[in-house]
Amino acid sequence: MTRAAGLVVRPGSIAKYTVLGVLSVLWLIPTYLLIINAAKPLDEYSTANAWVPSLRIGLFDNIADAWGRVDLASGAASTLLYATVAPALAILVGAAAGFAIIALRLKYGFVWFMVIFAGTIVPLQMLLAPLFLGYAWTGMFDTRAGMILIHLALNVPFATFVMRNFFTGVAYEMFEAATMDGAHALTIFFRIYLPLAKAALGAIFILQFVGVWNDLLMGLTLTQSSGVRPAMTALVGLQGMYSGAAPTAVLAGGLIMSLPTIVLFLVAQRLFRQGLSLGQLRDTT
Amino acid sequence: MRAPATSVRGGRPTTITSQATARMFVAPAVIVAAVLLYLPFLWAALLSFTEYRGLGAPEFVGLDNYAAMFDDPNFTISLRNTVIWVLGTILVPVALGLLIAVLTYNHRFGTWLRLPFLLPYALSGVGIGVVFGFLLQTHGAINQMLDFLGLPGAATRFMIDAPINTFTMIAAASWQAVGVNALLFVVGLQSIPKSALEAARMDGAGPWQLFRHITWPLLRPLTTVVVGLSIVASLKTFDIVWTMTEGGPGRRSETLAVTMYRETFSMQRFGMGAAIAVFLTALTFIAAMTYLRRQLSERPEKVR
Repeated sequence: MTRAAGLVVRPGSIAKYTVLGVLSVLWLIPTYLLIINAAKPLDEYSTANAWVPSLRIGLFDNIADAWGRVDLASGAASTLLYATVAPALAILVGAAAGFAIIALRLKYGFVWFMVIFAGTIVPLQMLLAPLFLGYAWTGMFDTRAGMILIHLALNVPFATFVMRNFFTGVAYEMFEAATMDGAHALTIFFRIYLPLAKAALGAIFILQFVGVWNDLLMGLTLTQSSGVRPAMTALVGLQGMYSGAAPTAVLAGGLIMSLPTIVLFLVAQRLFRQGLSLGQLRDTT
Repeated sequence: MRAPATSVRGGRPTTITSQATARMFVAPAVIVAAVLLYLPFLWAALLSFTEYRGLGAPEFVGLDNYAAMFDDPNFTISLRNTVIWVLGTILVPVALGLLIAVLTYNHRFGTWLRLPFLLPYALSGVGIGVVFGFLLQTHGAINQMLDFLGLPGAATRFMIDAPINTFTMIAAASWQAVGVNALLFVVGLQSIPKSALEAARMDGAGPWQLFRHITWPLLRPLTTVVVGLSIVASLKTFDIVWTMTEGGPGRRSETLAVTMYRETFSMQRFGMGAAIAVFLTALTFIAAMTYLRRQLSERPEKVR
């Protein structure tokens, strides 16, 4: 009976594949439009033939156009700096906090955890005006260090959340044994706990990398010069009605800036799933 | 479940030193959160009781900003739009994410079947903003397609008419969010013991009954996480509105976050912006607490 069910095409699976197929096509349409229009030579671009791909390839001209207009090269360099350094630091800081609470049995650990984690509840926008004023007063406005610092702060709560959960799943005997051997807490943290958490660390890093990479708000608020302003913010400026930039250039710029996150995300899909399943579902109360 | 911190092993009292060490380890996270998240938060809260335009000293005005805020019709529209965003974000991306997860999770090619839905998450917001711009502008690509296929709605002004423009943007946001929700639900589905499903199937349960009575209840902890995250995120909706309509036409598609941003940075009314921000924070906090309390109080048996 069950074997036959595997061979015969059931009405259930027809419905299933129809639903999946229709949804997939719908979901691919915007991506299709993004790619074909980013690849069009400017003179063939119009909303009237948005659906039709061009036979001539203008993609590289368009990329060059966007690249030149907003100094995308230095924007991309800044973005890369923020998107790698800030999450890496945030994960380290978050892991250290999780380690203190779970392995070192920090007193009132849960209260401290809530203090750190509640930082995610504050809407980002609420911080903008004070951050802008504070950054202006302290000379942090329009600096790369300032951008790294704010992204660090924004990513610490989530990193702490996942790492704390992850460390609750690590047998405490390991910590005790290492202590008995005379290992210092720092050694235990770097040599035992961090390596154990590789998958979770990787998953948080990827999520936060994508988050910082695509950040718009902090770039808009805390930067000004093209040397510091991240590429996304620069591109949004390009998109504005009066920028005079060709829409094909904006599309090509958006497409090229998406490539790193797409590649990272697809390559790491597996890691992402493992890391999260360890971190998030092993939530013990 | 936590053992007392005074674990005296091998005759070596570890309490004092390890508490000091523990504080060293937790300090960076606490300091960073305090200085860059809580301090600005408190400052904004204080600013909301003042009249401040970026120059000179803030002038204390009591609750004037709050009174003005509730009188402002723009605020009412913005609040209504935000509520639509929350409801829409719970309905569409969460439900569709669950559907896609259920349809693909046990499939040999599940990873590939989910690819079309995950791709948007990795695409940059800017490219998406532009694509949806020409998809949805009046006489844009969607209008053309509807017209070409002879379907109704070809004359809809997707980005112009409120509240249609908000629905449109929710659809665009859903397009981006569904994949991640599906992925999270797949993680949850994989943790459901096969034996439970087998047993129910042996008892003659159909696919719908399996879902209704086994999968759905066992998925509950994860659904709580996904819905909770969606509520908090949708209350703060900013980027997509800013890139697609900038809150327009006029101010009719603004969300609270956009209104706050405009008051603060376009109009230099820091006090008013801060008042909206405080309101938004309170709303987020209450919504999150209410939701979590409800979910946790009727929490079913723990799922492993």
